[in-house]
Amino acid sequence: MNRTETYGAPRLGIYVHIPFCLSKCAYCDFNSAVEEDRGVMTNYVNAVIAHMESYRSAAGDYDVDTVFFGGGTPTALPPDELLRLIRAVKRIFHVAKDAEFTVEANPATVSYATLSRMRRLGVNRLSMGLQSPHENELKALGRIHTRADFVRSFRMARDARFDNINVDLMFGIPYQTRESLAHTLRYVTRLGPEHISLYDLKIEPGTPFYANYAAIAPTLPGEDAEAEMYFDSIRTLAEAGYPQYEISNFARRGYACRHNLRYWNCDEYLGFGVSAHSYFSGHRFSIIPDVKQYIEGATVKESRIMLTAENEEIGERERIGEYVMLRLRLRAGIDEYEFRSRFGLSFEELYGERCLRFVRGGFMTRRRGVTALTPTGMFVSNTILSDLLEFEDLGRYNFGG
Amino acid sequence: MASEKQKHIRNFSIIAHIDHGKSTLADRILEFSNTVAARDMEEQLLDNMDLERERGITIKARAVRIDYDAPDGERYALNMIDTPGHVDFNYEVSRSLNACEGALLVVDATQGIEAQTLANAYLAVDADLEIVPVINKIDLPSAMPDKCKAEIEDVIGIPAEDAPVVSAKTGLNIASVMSAIIDQIPPPDGDENAPLRCLIFDSVYNSYLGVVVYIRVEEGTLKTGDRIRLMHTGAEFDVVEVGVMDPFGLRPTGMLTAGEVGYLTASIKNVSDTRVGDTVTHADAPADEPLPGFKKVQSMVYAGIYPSDGARYNETKDALEKLQLNDAAFTFEPETSIALGFGFRCGFLGLLHMEIIEERLEREFNLDLITTAPSVIYEIKKKNGEVVRIDNPTNYPAPDEIETASEPIVAASVITPTEYVGGIMDLCQDRRGVFIDMKYLDPTRVELHYRLPLNEIIYDFFDALKSRSRGYASLDYELSGYEPSNLVKLDFLLNGELVDALTFIVHADKAYARARKIAEKLKDNIPRQLFEVPIQAAIGSRIIARETVKALRKDVLAKCYGGDITRKKKLLEKQKEGKKKMRQLGSVEVSPEAFMAVLKLDDDQ
Repeated sequence: MNRTETYGAPRLGIYVHIPFCLSKCAYCDFNSAVEEDRGVMTNYVNAVIAHMESYRSAAGDYDVDTVFFGGGTPTALPPDELLRLIRAVKRIFHVAKDAEFTVEANPATVSYATLSRMRRLGVNRLSMGLQSPHENELKALGRIHTRADFVRSFRMARDARFDNINVDLMFGIPYQTRESLAHTLRYVTRLGPEHISLYDLKIEPGTPFYANYAAIAPTLPGEDAEAEMYFDSIRTLAEAGYPQYEISNFARRGYACRHNLRYWNCDEYLGFGVSAHSYFSGHRFSIIPDVKQYIEGATVKESRIMLTAENEEIGERERIGEYVMLRLRLRAGIDEYEFRSRFGLSFEELYGERCLRFVRGGFMTRRRGVTALTPTGMFVSNTILSDLLEFEDLGRYNFGG
Repeated sequence: MASEKQKHIRNFSIIAHIDHGKSTLADRILEFSNTVAARDMEEQLLDNMDLERERGITIKARAVRIDYDAPDGERYALNMIDTPGHVDFNYEVSRSLNACEGALLVVDATQGIEAQTLANAYLAVDADLEIVPVINKIDLPSAMPDKCKAEIEDVIGIPAEDAPVVSAKTGLNIASVMSAIIDQIPPPDGDENAPLRCLIFDSVYNSYLGVVVYIRVEEGTLKTGDRIRLMHTGAEFDVVEVGVMDPFGLRPTGMLTAGEVGYLTASIKNVSDTRVGDTVTHADAPADEPLPGFKKVQSMVYAGIYPSDGARYNETKDALEKLQLNDAAFTFEPETSIALGFGFRCGFLGLLHMEIIEERLEREFNLDLITTAPSVIYEIKKKNGEVVRIDNPTNYPAPDEIETASEPIVAASVITPTEYVGGIMDLCQDRRGVFIDMKYLDPTRVELHYRLPLNEIIYDFFDALKSRSRGYASLDYELSGYEPSNLVKLDFLLNGELVDALTFIVHADKAYARARKIAEKLKDNIPRQLFEVPIQAAIGSRIIARETVKALRKDVLAKCYGGDITRKKKLLEKQKEGKKKMRQLGSVEVSPEAFMAVLKLDDDQ
């Protein structure tokens, strides 16, 4: 088993997916939708609770040290339902005292009262989606909040004693320039959250951006400008006290997101709610995407609906591949010693030769047993990984030919 | 003198430009003589292959025998011998014409004579055929039959005043064509007791019968069971079957006599044994001399053909072998390219022939191919006295080994409406053409004669000609010999490494422009890679053009959606799958599509 802790109970992360939003953003391909019917939300919360209950004994030996409520917009739930769900997590699982407990909250979806009650229930980290403080950029993204909404919510969170806040930002978005992004970063770092995520806009099938690509394309900064934006940002954020620790993540010392680090360290987590993903007991599996089916499958005893959509056992070689793929997202990279103790094999022997050209090209550094991607390497990491990894490293999938 | 039997035979071809209505007229003739009921006919019966039908041209000659009950009460055997209508197949055309006594010259009344028609009409005159002009498409409002007739008289020098004026499409006046065939085309002669001499004008491989050889008996008599000899190849066979070609298939008759057109089979395995133009005689009582005019056809244009997916090499080889069964003019042998792997150097009669083969390989055999740029054969006299013929630019000798390099030159004729003459002359000039003369066919149309290097013609000359004449100009050419030329070998390097599949031989004056054009195309078609890719064009060690493919900047999955690792793995695997299909040109990965796009010969800008 992938248990990083060598003493005490094994550790586990819990992810809860809330697929509801007040409105759908133009770039979003996550499983989320605008839900008007309060009854559906209540049933959904009941379903997630029932779903978690079914794992009570399987997770009984674990200490849960990270919890993450993501979406969608968890705060789109009626406050009572959200709080009920938070309490249920704590009731069902052994949530450690010092656990990191994150809830995603969009500006203008939370009241001070809700924030304060969440905080008192043990939620100690908020993740807020700002994306951009520039109104024209926000509008193009289809966000419903304004910069003023965000500032109000952020101050409210501070007042409610949240001392670990993440702000989500995006780059490569319509109308953005290197200057406007620099301004965004200045604005946010002055506000002073503990953590900043900076995601590169990817236009995914099924989104309004994808459907209107021809209209949007001329407003996008383009590949070269995006690369410059990325490298600028890494520099700027480091100077402002937020060193990069993952491709898209930056934090003050000690504030890296412990839950997300689980993903990148190949540690175990259980996901509840539609489209949630788990890595547990040597398997990766996901939950069906449809809300109605999920509610029925989780709450109706005689239902024949299976909650699990995909389920695969991760073989030894694939675990290595995953580890390389995920750890190279981290600035800390892959440590030869750690790799050996985990897999009993040498990273150097397996991949050393293929790393040479990446090191020579300035995409990778290999010093004192640690292999890591440089910022340049990170921004082309798909190309690097698809060169570096073998098909066996990636498991077996079929692409129809 | 014609015998009684011969008096009831007419052997003729139809000469026409593409789209001037040859196949439609052939159908009407079949229909008129009740050989084929209209409803049984697929439109245009003579063109057998799908490809031919789609392109509206005939690739290989075919022949058909029609029994026609004429109004004079007699029954005639009409042998209609189809001819390929393209410059690449000149020799085949000349052999088919030699099997006839007459030819219908079909001219589109709205267009007049075109270059190819003229070339074929001259071939018919040279073969001493009786030419019967037929003015077609008179149902169209823009038809100018009288102008057409005048043109035929002026340009070819045959009387055309009484030429049948028809619409093959509507069937108008077909009777006048039938009577012209009977009245104007002479019957064959030839002594049926003389030693056997048959002209081979085509052959087709059939998986049951072996090679079916299409012949015209000039003298003597051929029977089932005879032992025959092919006078040029020397091969001998026992005849299994002789007969005639009905519209619906082969009909054994047991015997063919002088003047008849028909077929023979003799368990022949390979069409290359039965060369077009060869003479069939009896092995035990051979004729003294073969019929005149035999030529071994030679490939004029060469290109490398490679399977896109290297694993399909054997399939490609099988397909090439199958095509060759039916096409003695097509040659291939294995070759290896550092860039493209294992493939074949293929020889073609010309560009159209090459295109046809490529298309058939892709369509009938479902192969994805990479075809290198076509090349001609260069004759190099080396300083050590050795003479080499180079069909692959990669094998071109180093400059210091070359005493003289010669390239093939063709005599080209272009017929065009007068308003495009200027543009076409510029084009020919630009293609190193030497102007010979210019003739007005009528006040609106001109025939231009140029001497042109063949390697200029195979580099997008047709397309340029078409675009400069809005599609109205037509081209015909014939190899006229080799001439010394100032040629250079132009290499392309990616990342400093030579890409053998991209080597061209060009005239020194053209090298710079060509180098720039290809380098730009490479730049536009090579996907950005992790490393910057310098593109260089070089003559020897001298770089004459350069471009750069900028390095890839962005290829990243920014977000791991709530721990969805599988999605990322699938993405990487797909990417890896895509890379497997890439061709490694030196250290640079290029998709087969991109490679083909670079070699695509388009605009002459």
